[in-house]
Amino acid sequence: MSALLSAKNLSLSFGGVHAVRDISFDVEQGEVFSIIGPNGAGKTSIFNLISRLYNADSGDIVFAGESIISQPAHRIASLGIARTFQNTELFEHETVLNNMLIGRHVHRCSNLFSELLFLHSVRKQELEFRRIVEDVIDLLDLQSHRNQVIGSLPYGVRKMVEVARALCIQPKLLLLDEPSSGLNPEETEDVSFWIEDISRDYGATIIMVEHDMNLVSRSSDRVLAIADGAFVALGTPSEIQNHPDVQRAYLGD
Amino acid sequence: MRFILKTHYQQDIDVFKHNGQRFWFGLLALLVIVAPLFIDTFYLGELSLVYIYAIAGIGLMLLVGHTGLVSLGHAAFLAIGAYAHAWFIGKGWPLPLSILLAGLLSAAAGAMVGRPTLRMTGIYLAIATLAFAHIVEQIIAHWEPVTGGFRGQLVPDAVFMGFDLSRGIPFYYLCLFVVVLCLLAALNLLRSPTGRSMVAIRDSEISAQSMGIDLARTKTIAFAVSAGFTGVAGALFAHKLGYLAPDAFTMLTSIQLLLMVVVGGLGSMHGVFYGAIFIVVLPQFIAIMRDTLPTAIGQLPGLEPGLFGLILVLFLIFEPLGIYGRWLKVKQFFDEFPLYRKATHKRQKSYLRTERLR
Repeated sequence: MSALLSAKNLSLSFGGVHAVRDISFDVEQGEVFSIIGPNGAGKTSIFNLISRLYNADSGDIVFAGESIISQPAHRIASLGIARTFQNTELFEHETVLNNMLIGRHVHRCSNLFSELLFLHSVRKQELEFRRIVEDVIDLLDLQSHRNQVIGSLPYGVRKMVEVARALCIQPKLLLLDEPSSGLNPEETEDVSFWIEDISRDYGATIIMVEHDMNLVSRSSDRVLAIADGAFVALGTPSEIQNHPDVQRAYLGD
Repeated sequence: MRFILKTHYQQDIDVFKHNGQRFWFGLLALLVIVAPLFIDTFYLGELSLVYIYAIAGIGLMLLVGHTGLVSLGHAAFLAIGAYAHAWFIGKGWPLPLSILLAGLLSAAAGAMVGRPTLRMTGIYLAIATLAFAHIVEQIIAHWEPVTGGFRGQLVPDAVFMGFDLSRGIPFYYLCLFVVVLCLLAALNLLRSPTGRSMVAIRDSEISAQSMGIDLARTKTIAFAVSAGFTGVAGALFAHKLGYLAPDAFTMLTSIQLLLMVVVGGLGSMHGVFYGAIFIVVLPQFIAIMRDTLPTAIGQLPGLEPGLFGLILVLFLIFEPLGIYGRWLKVKQFFDEFPLYRKATHKRQKSYLRTERLR
């Protein structure tokens, strides 16, 4: 089976800082793949490379057999890659519902003129969007927050709304940037259940950047460890946890 | 307080959310329809002006309030609409077609401005649009064969199916009809994917991009639609003025339009109408004040723009959500009567923001 996403010799530097150095990895269809590493290791940079917010200095990213390294950032979602952000990037002044409906943007077929007149086809499309959004709301238990404005929500809920919004794209690949940061232990445990649900119900492949090793070892199939932008180790969670190089990266010599 | 039992997704999509709204807006519609029977010609003219400003305001609100792009050059689109309309009407084209074409031409000009200014935001965009408005002003002043230059030109009467709609009660109904049409179109846009993507860009460009929204395309659309509505307003404004000259479309007009959306309340269509009423009433108020104040103050030449600026600044500091925002707060106070706390609407600092990636 060929990999859903493969990164080949990715490198990225900001001036003299090498954020990502010659990193390669393959993510298989349907797996939960975690990227770990100390702060500043370049985990989020890898995400930003995949979602094309950064331009790689060299290397290639192949998604579903197609190179995406020169696609514009807004095409990535329609290819089936959705992401969340480390500190949440929601649309603050909108309701949870509208945030999630944005996730359906790539699936729209209406044009400006039909929208100005709100033709029947646009209404039908809105209802269809709504049905899909409600499925996600059910999956992630967001019913009670449906019509609340993001600005009024607690942080834990915002993180879930962001995951929900990404799911509304119905992505093949979901990038979760520190899904448990800022959550309490109970909420973190919920996250691991949701990851399970998402990969089962939506058949989405998940790449996750995470610091919480409990969550990583419980949910992920394989783990990539990096430090200072460079590859350290790749393997199952238990292999990685006992890997001498990984321990050295976190604890020093 | 009203609780709505929702039984169908349609209820979230519909323009009116519940019967209370249907009743009050119905009553309002009835009032403005019978208004000409009760109020005299002067006030009817002022009310028509409110509608005209509201149409321009709908356009500017979509750009400033919903897409988060500030334009200081909307007088230019008003001018393009007005002159285009005068030209088409002068050529003997039917009124509805002429208004529509004025809007489309203005929208095309908007797209032309939108495209090269995409990379700009905030103050830089404001300056760029200001420059554009200045260019348009100069073109109007010097393109004499079409615009009449500094001497200006008379606007031909708006005759449609034998009726003269260019003044008085028929003009009032024309403005009312167009403003309702424009409002519906804007509300339709806002409940569709394009409107949502505009709001998404306002709140977070970076995540809008990751959700598959093409920033360049959406911003261009926002500019074009905004300019289009303003152009339609310009067409009606031409009849209101009766005589077109470049000094009707100066920077002061642009600032007046911006004042309207800020004072009304950014991000809401209610705000457009509050703002429109405000900027129609304000000059009257200033005129009355000039007479009552001591001559030294009352006859100051820059009093009007000075006051506009002052009010804009005061609103930005004390009530950034404008008149509509204030109205919502008052409503909430009564809704939750004994429970309302002073801190409810205290502005909070937000500490969490992903690094902006630029």
